[in-house]
Amino acid sequence: MKLSWIFGPSMEAHHLLYAYVTVWLIQGGYAAWIALQWARTGKELQSDPADSSQFDEDS
Amino acid sequence: MKRSRILGLVGIVWLLASLGVIAYATRLGLILAPVDALQGNIFRIIYYHVPTSMLSLLFPYVNLVASLFYLYWRQRDPLKALTADAVAISSAEVTVVYATICLWTGMLWGRVAWGIWWTWDARLTSMLLLWLLYVSYLMLRRLSSTGQTHTLAAVLSVFAGIDVPIVYMSIRWWRTQHPAPVFGGGGDSGLDPSMRPAFWFNVLGWAMWGIFLLVFRYMLERRRQESEQDAALQAIEASLEIAQ
Repeated sequence: MKLSWIFGPSMEAHHLLYAYVTVWLIQGGYAAWIALQWARTGKELQSDPADSSQFDEDS
Repeated sequence: MKRSRILGLVGIVWLLASLGVIAYATRLGLILAPVDALQGNIFRIIYYHVPTSMLSLLFPYVNLVASLFYLYWRQRDPLKALTADAVAISSAEVTVVYATICLWTGMLWGRVAWGIWWTWDARLTSMLLLWLLYVSYLMLRRLSSTGQTHTLAAVLSVFAGIDVPIVYMSIRWWRTQHPAPVFGGGGDSGLDPSMRPAFWFNVLGWAMWGIFLLVFRYMLERRRQESEQDAALQAIEASLEIAQ
């Protein structure tokens, strides 16, 4: 069976396309958000020693 | 080789394997599985809807068990309690993701099959309630600023866990517009053998992906906890230095 019918004008085709695309968008979006937070938290952890030394100088 | 590097490698292999299985399962569901005799092609939504729905009823149990361990350990062993808490928030987020997909794909299917987006039958209502409970769990954790936030969230999780068997049994206990159970629903239930590969490969693929998300989110939470502990230690050290 060819997949081209999914881009057809019927409601059946539209809804099936929306379902499959939005599932990937939601799952991919959540995975991307975790990856972004992972990178940010990693940077924070790396920058901590510098922050503390600056704090030491201030005090 | 460092432990973190080995874990990273295992994570990447697991991610690629889960994406491979999902891609294969999607091909099976969209192209290779036969057209349903009664519903036509809209039936193919089921290959995503049912596996994600099944998983959206399994991840809450991870959250429930982790929350119970948190409640048990919070006074006895705070470090173990932090670990349980990281598992709890990770599984709650994954539950919300899977339950959102379950509701959304169900509505898309219902609009074509029933002619309506939504009906307040027992299955749909109890599933919406489950979604709302886990959204409120996450909002409580994000917005509450009391020292008891994690304990309150763990208690809420126990109540949310009670809804899971109600969602599962709703189509067995009550007459609903939602279709009768495909598996374990009696003599005339079941899936045609030609449709089973598409269905079970989707279950496998989305389960592997869900486990990946759960572990990745757990590691992020542990990293955040470590960052918060470092910040708290630095604040204590700084206050001691000022006092001197």
